[in-house]
Amino acid sequence: MDFALDDEQTLIAQTVRRFVDKDVRAWAADADRAGAAPPRLTAVAGDLGFFLDAVPEASGGMLDGPYSHLRRAVRGHELGRGCAGMAALLETNVEPALAVGRWGSAAAAEALFGSLSAGGLATTARDSRGTLDISRDADGLRVTGKLGPVPALGTARHVLLMARCGDEPVLALIDTAGGRRAPFVPSGWRAAAWGTLTLEAASVPAAMILARGPAAADATAEVLTWYKVSLAARAAGVAVSAMEHARKYADERVQFGRPIGHFESLIRLRDDADTGAAAVRLMALHAAWQADRVKDDSTRAAAHDAASRARVMAGDVVDRATVDAVQILGGYGFVNDYPVEKLMRDARAFAQLLGDERFDRILAVRAQQGA
Amino acid sequence: MDIFHNNPMLAGVRQMLGAFAKQQIRPIADQHDRDESMPWDLMKMAQGFGMTQTAVVDGRKALTGKDEEGDAAKPKSQARIGCAGSEELAYGCAGICLAIGGSGLAASPVARMGTEEQQQEFRRLLKGDDDHGHIKVAAMALSEPSTGSDISGLSTVARPDGDHFVINGHKQWITNGASASVYVVWANTDPSAGRAGVRGFIVARGTPGLVPGRKETKLGIRASETAQVHFEDCRVHKDMLLGGGATSEGLSDTKKMLDSTRPMVGAQAVGIARAAFDYLVERVQGGTMQGTPLAHHQRVAFELAEMEMEIQAARALVHKAAWMADHNMDNVRMASMAKAYGAKVAQDVTSRALTLLGEEALESGHPVEKWYRDAKIYDIFEGTGQIQRRIIARSIFGVNPT
Repeated sequence: MDFALDDEQTLIAQTVRRFVDKDVRAWAADADRAGAAPPRLTAVAGDLGFFLDAVPEASGGMLDGPYSHLRRAVRGHELGRGCAGMAALLETNVEPALAVGRWGSAAAAEALFGSLSAGGLATTARDSRGTLDISRDADGLRVTGKLGPVPALGTARHVLLMARCGDEPVLALIDTAGGRRAPFVPSGWRAAAWGTLTLEAASVPAAMILARGPAAADATAEVLTWYKVSLAARAAGVAVSAMEHARKYADERVQFGRPIGHFESLIRLRDDADTGAAAVRLMALHAAWQADRVKDDSTRAAAHDAASRARVMAGDVVDRATVDAVQILGGYGFVNDYPVEKLMRDARAFAQLLGDERFDRILAVRAQQGA
Repeated sequence: MDIFHNNPMLAGVRQMLGAFAKQQIRPIADQHDRDESMPWDLMKMAQGFGMTQTAVVDGRKALTGKDEEGDAAKPKSQARIGCAGSEELAYGCAGICLAIGGSGLAASPVARMGTEEQQQEFRRLLKGDDDHGHIKVAAMALSEPSTGSDISGLSTVARPDGDHFVINGHKQWITNGASASVYVVWANTDPSAGRAGVRGFIVARGTPGLVPGRKETKLGIRASETAQVHFEDCRVHKDMLLGGGATSEGLSDTKKMLDSTRPMVGAQAVGIARAAFDYLVERVQGGTMQGTPLAHHQRVAFELAEMEMEIQAARALVHKAAWMADHNMDNVRMASMAKAYGAKVAQDVTSRALTLLGEEALESGHPVEKWYRDAKIYDIFEGTGQIQRRIIARSIFGVNPT
């Protein structure tokens, strides 16, 4: 085993870290207050290869060969250190692009990649509670209900939808032009252009259905694996960021005659958070490594399980770390002059997006048991 | 212990304030959270329920119609009533609860240490409406930019000058700090004496040198105003020195006062937890997961069972600490346990509720999202969780906990 990053991964980490330290962190507070990313983000991040990294070269993108989820996790960890909201925006195209590249028809590829190459965004939504009303319509589908809230849906042209039509899983590309989009003001990740999309008997042509039945179940498992790996990596970055701010404050703030960072109770809070963040980072990297090696049912299941575990741990760790960072800053942590109250709000989406991960894991086991 | 049987007094307070919370507070909570504004109209209405800005100074008469027992040795019920009421109000909205009760922070030392004349002056300064037509409120100005948990390190100074004291310093995180009509300010009258020199002063708004400062934008409890307050050569007559010329324990006395108010803070945290719990129960009863009622899933049902255990345990601690205060028993350890555990439970319950609710509760202003943000302050103000654990630990080992 070799835990060291290779040269290319190291270069990615260093490049994204510079971008984060120079730009993203400087923009984060204003983006949170404004509820929108700065206009410059698109240009700067685009130059660094975001948005089109999962779009095939032949379709105007930058993907030449297999996609590396390991590299994505490395950069996601760095992005999480900067701003969870902007990170979500920068990563939003990956799942739709990979899914359409893998399972999509020529028409779906043309629609999505054409939009992304022209600067458009796509996002991913999952009907985790089974509340959408989806029926067959000839070879296509009719969808009624509300998608989201999810990041980027406020502006995205396409949504990769994971849902069920009756008992049959489906994976489809939805054109948001066929529905009514509404902005959504989230608690955290406020730079991520959140939105909802209400569909009323919207028609989804057969060419936009990427998979259905058992194939859709497998494809959905892979998409969720990619998404959860990325979430976990970013969450670890947010936890690291929270403790960077807390450490700086605790080393400077003097109470009872010494820096508060010298008190054992606060050392423990920081140490627990650092330990958790390190564990989640490793779990995310491991799950990403497995995602890069999926070749059959067994490896697909192993990758999904690893991603799910990483995501469960990530939700717990980032919540605890950011809450404890606010605790360490005390009254200053509770006001928005300091960045940690934003981080505490940002942390929640890691456990709430896509639904309750622990519930998913229980349902997966019950499915294996035939219950 | 009154929580184990149907005490008519507490039941009445619960019923009255519970209805007030549901019918009057809940409907406006989201708006004041979004606007970060004080619920002035509601605060005026609350006065009709006996929740006056001087209720602490006046005793429980305004709330219950009964004067407090004059014999200090006899049991009282003020702390228990305070806990029952605080839980109900915070069940409606913790920020609004704090807005209604914020003046009590300043009134407590006036009631405890003030002379009869000072109490009259405090009442006079809070009579009628202010220039904006709002009811008048008071502010307790204790914390400072460099002094949070370690309140013995106050740097605000009150220098004697003839019949006056001249106050200089900056106060931070002051409830009602920007709007108050009267301030109870803590300053050191003799820096060479350390914490023994710290005394409280009643300072009226408009006193030259008293400068209300910037209002803070906060994570939660946004309906309660928090602001900086500055004192720049602010001259205050010596008659406004709390306790007058008599020997006073000053800050130490204030710390003792916290032993009776901490259970109430814990009760507010219990109110937040109960709000999230009730919301989740209602949501679970109406919800399904892939066609199966949510309540049939142990993942959900057992989480609710855990929450209910935690809430009941926190409430029991709160009421035991209050009962001890009402019976003149040393409750310092129990008061800290009630406050610290209440804060922990409020944070745990709201966090777990958010996770179970998933994407629907990601919206800013969703009730549980708001309660999650509100809950955090209970581990910070009125003595952080770390300070409470320090008090409890010292008490365990027989060391003076404060």
